[in-house]
Amino acid sequence: MSAVAMVQANSVTKQVSTQEGNLTILHPISISVMAGESLAITGASGSGKSTLLGILAGLDVPSNGEVILNGHNLSQLDEEGRAKVRAGNVGFIFQSFQLLPGLSAHENVMLPLELRGDKAAGSKAREFLERVGLAQRLHHYPQQLSGGEQQRVAIARAFASEPKVLFADEPTGNLDSTTGARIIELLFELNRAQGTTLILITHEERLAQLCNRRIELAAGSIVSGRE
Amino acid sequence: MMLAFNLLRRNWRSGELKLLGFSLLLAVAVLSGISIFTNRLESTLISESNSVLGADYIVRGSQPHNPDWPAAAAKDNIQQTQAALFSSMVFAGDEMHLASVKAVDSGYPLRGQFEISRVPFAMNLADIEIAKTIPAPGEAWVDSRLLPLLKIQLGDKVAVGEYELKVTQVLIREPDSANPFSMTGARLIMNIADLEKTQVVQPGSRVDYQWLIASDNIGQLKAFVDQLKPLLNKHQRLIDIDSAQERVGRTLKTSRQFLLLSAVIAVLLAGVAIAITARQFSARHTDQVALMKSLGAGAVQIRTLYFSQLLLLGIIASLIGLVFGDLLQRTVATSLQQVYQIRLGAASFYPYGLSFFSGLMCLVFFALPALWYLPAVPPLKILRRELAVNMPQVWMQAALALFAVLTLVILFSRDLELALSISGALLTVIVVTIIAAYGLLALSKKMVLRLGGFWRLAFANLQRQRGQSLIQILVFSIAIMLLFTMTIVRTSLIEEWKVQVPDDAPNHFLVNIPPAELSQVQALLEKNKVRPEPLYPMMRARLTHINGVETTEEQRSLANALRRELNVTWAETLAADNKILEGFWWDKWQRSAANLPGVSVEVDTAKEIGLKIGDKLQFSFGGLLLDAEVASFRSLDWRSMRPNFFFIFEPGSLDTYSPTFITSIYLPTQQKSFINQLLLDHPTILVMELDRIIEQIRSIIDQVSDGVLLVLWLTLIGGCLVLLAAVMGSIAARKQQAGLLRALGSPRQLIVGSICAEFAILGFLAGLIAIVGTELLLISLQKFVLETAIQPHYIFWLISPLSGAVFVSALGYICCRHVVTTPPAVVLREAA
Repeated sequence: MSAVAMVQANSVTKQVSTQEGNLTILHPISISVMAGESLAITGASGSGKSTLLGILAGLDVPSNGEVILNGHNLSQLDEEGRAKVRAGNVGFIFQSFQLLPGLSAHENVMLPLELRGDKAAGSKAREFLERVGLAQRLHHYPQQLSGGEQQRVAIARAFASEPKVLFADEPTGNLDSTTGARIIELLFELNRAQGTTLILITHEERLAQLCNRRIELAAGSIVSGRE
Repeated sequence: MMLAFNLLRRNWRSGELKLLGFSLLLAVAVLSGISIFTNRLESTLISESNSVLGADYIVRGSQPHNPDWPAAAAKDNIQQTQAALFSSMVFAGDEMHLASVKAVDSGYPLRGQFEISRVPFAMNLADIEIAKTIPAPGEAWVDSRLLPLLKIQLGDKVAVGEYELKVTQVLIREPDSANPFSMTGARLIMNIADLEKTQVVQPGSRVDYQWLIASDNIGQLKAFVDQLKPLLNKHQRLIDIDSAQERVGRTLKTSRQFLLLSAVIAVLLAGVAIAITARQFSARHTDQVALMKSLGAGAVQIRTLYFSQLLLLGIIASLIGLVFGDLLQRTVATSLQQVYQIRLGAASFYPYGLSFFSGLMCLVFFALPALWYLPAVPPLKILRRELAVNMPQVWMQAALALFAVLTLVILFSRDLELALSISGALLTVIVVTIIAAYGLLALSKKMVLRLGGFWRLAFANLQRQRGQSLIQILVFSIAIMLLFTMTIVRTSLIEEWKVQVPDDAPNHFLVNIPPAELSQVQALLEKNKVRPEPLYPMMRARLTHINGVETTEEQRSLANALRRELNVTWAETLAADNKILEGFWWDKWQRSAANLPGVSVEVDTAKEIGLKIGDKLQFSFGGLLLDAEVASFRSLDWRSMRPNFFFIFEPGSLDTYSPTFITSIYLPTQQKSFINQLLLDHPTILVMELDRIIEQIRSIIDQVSDGVLLVLWLTLIGGCLVLLAAVMGSIAARKQQAGLLRALGSPRQLIVGSICAEFAILGFLAGLIAIVGTELLLISLQKFVLETAIQPHYIFWLISPLSGAVFVSALGYICCRHVVTTPPAVVLREAA
């Protein structure tokens, strides 16, 4: 394992203003995830998992503290700059798959590649769909696919752009346990093959145990696995 | 750009852009179809109508036109010719007649044609030919009646002044047959080259000089005329079809306005559909944008991607719309050409360019605002779906749309009044709708408790989604309002046109009937079962003094009535279409101390001369003088095909002068030969054939009505698109609810019933509001634009809400019916 931190969060906090005044969602949190490492974030609903994931991935900005992703200090960048960092470094897998309903499986996988202007988007997308076992489903639309198949497309989409860090938000949350197990298997297999850093949110003990490390959040603070 | 094109292709395939694309295509197709067709029709109708005038414009005056003008006109490729009109005695042996001579130059007439014959009084088409030239020098063409009047045959010679002309043809018809009341003599057409040899025209002679111009390039001609206008001196007047033929001009104007109005309404409907679909599109794409942003797309890239898609869609849909519009107008034009044997001229490039531009403009103002916020969607929304996104305000979208409509109306009609009245009425309607919809929805809240079954469910739904219901009512009512406005305006316009020219309207004037022949003429009419309008005595007089002062050259140059001999009459009763505006008619009028006979003056003439009630006028009846006092000012209806007089005297005041008589008659086509008989027996009578003008007006009305009907259908499609777009917007939520209800075991009838009931209530409320809006819009249109009578449309107060309820609920049912035929699990999964 390399000693370089791929994602580094230093004293990150998040507050939002509500009608009742300021609400702290995240208390100062510092974590460091090494390149190629896998980290599971667990915790109850409302513990701040998604907020932390959003901040680590550069989708949101912390109220205080800084996030350094593959050497880029996200706190010093504007949204346009963060988008550039995401484009080159980050992939996502979501609980609700987030496939575009009007696009075929192939086109869904092509999208991030096309956004980067990758000329070989078509062939790369096909290759990754084959790797997740959907060679026969290239031209199917999301509603023609089962939940497991949809998540495989999402995994293919996430890995096709060869991200340095993969963020997964409850990747098996919408799947039955058998399908979920297969998806986990596929996720880690690709993760190993690509040497990707993996940060995932999960409720599933089995999935959390497969990760190199886990932290548990409660009320916006890390309660176990503290660094 | 390539990615934008690919995304556009994918979005199109997924059906998300279809409604947007079709709405835009429809807008451009309707706009281009109408504007190209109107452009062609206008140029054709103008040149058709102008054949009545003999040119597009005539500069008419008591002096020849400026010798510099022809060169300037030639430079602008404007056709031109000239004519001189005057009355002169013509002689043949011992016989003589005061003829109306028209000396014409080569090229005359520029519009329309001379119809000539070798057979006097020819009625048979085979005997009549279209003249390709004008009379050669030394020749004359004459009215058939001149032959019996002078007792001559074709080939004989007649003397005009000092010069003899050989009569080679009989003149059957001519363009610019002029005012029959100022032309009592038979017509003689001669070559202007012979004019000097006749020595008739001397300094001080009363000659009507005409300089005629025409061009197929309307724009260039108008520009030339605009330059010409300030150069006219006080003796010269510019005559065009509007001033020469008020009826044709008016019909043209209203039909043009109506077609434009239809185009604008169609565009407005399509625009509303575009705005709604764009809003739905952008709402659906919020998640997609968040996803693309999480994948690394920046705001700039998102903006470029979406706006390029919109631009590409705009260009493609506008181009296809243009093709459809062109096909549409070609179809109408071809059928018109077959039915009316009218060849429509080619359209200019202007309507094509303008329509294409309008398509893009529709997109920018109706669709773009809805997409404007997309680049600002936060990427975090991909993780937190509940995150609020600032959708553009509806009122801002409405304001931009209104601005676009205003601009489009001004661009297409160049008529600020039309633009303002449409926009003003629309704004009022929107405000009224919002208030009324709020009120009606609040009222319906009470209904929920009293009703059972699906009605209760439907009302509850409307209450729950009050905001959405409000927008749907607004959209439905605007669509229904515009459709009804079109229908009512079309019907009332066509009715008004038909009333202008009733089927049995008098179509011939008989002028100059001598008193001695009056009883014979009446007997002849009776024998042939021709019913005349009342016979009016008519005398020619000149107004020479006003309040004891002789009229000056200055006054004469300003008032037409002072320049020429007037046709005057006396009358006991006021004609039905005349109205006293000031002073009194004879039954209430009292002579003043001066004890002069009274005279009633047509109001515009009175204004032109500058008369007041009580002014003393002196008339000269061929040298015999008569003093009279102005008793009243009168308006009259020039559109009625009845004899009308500028000056009407008190009965008895003209007893010492010998009048001729004038009347109008209705002659069906099959009785046309009656004229020959009449003219043979009574050659001094002048017959003015109005039937051709009436026929022409009818044919214009028919053409326009046909075109208008087609446009109405297109507008209806636009309206359906709007309704469809509005219904489609709520379909996902309805599906979800229906799926849930089905899963919970609700019977199919309850769900279908509640959906139909909900849409029926929406349609009913929208129809109710729409009819109020329709009346408001109509009042403003009729008052300020079309200038027709304002009247309520009671039947539509019933039709509008009922048809709204039926139509909208049917549409709702069609769109939502599969929510009950698909298994609830599938519906719920799709909706999720």
